[in-house]
Amino acid sequence: MAEVRLAGMGEIVSTRGSGVVGCIGLGSCVGALLYDPRTQVAGLAHVMLPEAHEQDAFTTPGKYATTALPALLRHLDTPAALASRLKAILIGGAELFQSRSQTLRIGERNVAMLHHLLSELRINIVFEHTRGNSGRSFEFDVATGVLRVRVVGGTQVERDLSVALGIMPKAA
Amino acid sequence: MTSTLTDLRTDALREIGNIGLGGAVTALSDLTGVLFTLEAPQVHQVDTTNLQHLCCVSPESLVVGTISQVKGDWPGEGAFLFPWDSACVLWQALVQMQPRGLEELNELYQSVINEVSNIMLGNYLQAISLMTGFTLHMEPPAIAADMAMAVLSSILVEALYEQRELLAIETAFKTPEHEFKGYFLYLPETGNLEKLFGVLGI
Repeated sequence: MAEVRLAGMGEIVSTRGSGVVGCIGLGSCVGALLYDPRTQVAGLAHVMLPEAHEQDAFTTPGKYATTALPALLRHLDTPAALASRLKAILIGGAELFQSRSQTLRIGERNVAMLHHLLSELRINIVFEHTRGNSGRSFEFDVATGVLRVRVVGGTQVERDLSVALGIMPKAA
Repeated sequence: MTSTLTDLRTDALREIGNIGLGGAVTALSDLTGVLFTLEAPQVHQVDTTNLQHLCCVSPESLVVGTISQVKGDWPGEGAFLFPWDSACVLWQALVQMQPRGLEELNELYQSVINEVSNIMLGNYLQAISLMTGFTLHMEPPAIAADMAMAVLSSILVEALYEQRELLAIETAFKTPEHEFKGYFLYLPETGNLEKLFGVLGI
């Protein structure tokens, strides 16, 4: 696989037509990826918290679900009115510290908020590997639509999402 | 980041880390019969993009971590992080056996690590309490064993939830007898820092 462009906590990365994007060690954070089949641009935000409560939403919009999605639309150059043509992938949102999770449940709330916002934008979630109690890393190859999710202990999930994402096979 | 810490204040936080964890490490040595020593504490103003500087563990390596909420006059989160092999040193010293992998990490092994964090954090808070007169108490720890970055980021997100800035007082401890490294993080609510500095007269 080509070099992976990783989105660190609160960051957004994007790539067009080719390249690999991903996140390392997602706990309660969620990797929210949007793909535009028309332009072949993928944008990935490493979302940490459900809602922005501070003005740093302007400097690090990727940090909060409520600001990450509008920022991703800007990265993809897609007006909100046309957002329904986008496809979404969500990875992460686990609760690692189970005995404590009753208090904040940030992972669950990150996932719930992203679901809510994506449905408002009428964006389909084509694949998600979320919730549960395990941390995750993942890589998504924009050219092939292949997604690889790793959890601790070496378990790996691999999915070819090219059809779901509307990625055209490259002419031989 | 705002509330830029002066050198004096950074030194004070470092010293608190030293004094606080000094007693905690002695308690751990008493408990295990293994001599642990402290590395010089570091004070980080955590910007989420510099996480890799926090706790020198490879991002996808297996670690065991705990987090306990601290309430009272200097509230925050106290967290411990042990690379798997280091956790094994603790298990071997305390219960004379160790899990062969994550699937064998049963309640007994978890309670050993919880107990270690309880005793160490308790000692740390007691030292701060003696120094400042603060009333501090902690909630029971929650434990996780997973990829280092997932554990660390989950700890930081818990602490970040109510605030924008994050200060981390990091103290590493080790032992010459084994390949062992333990990391302790205290993540104070930054809004309460003035109170601490006020009591210390700086």
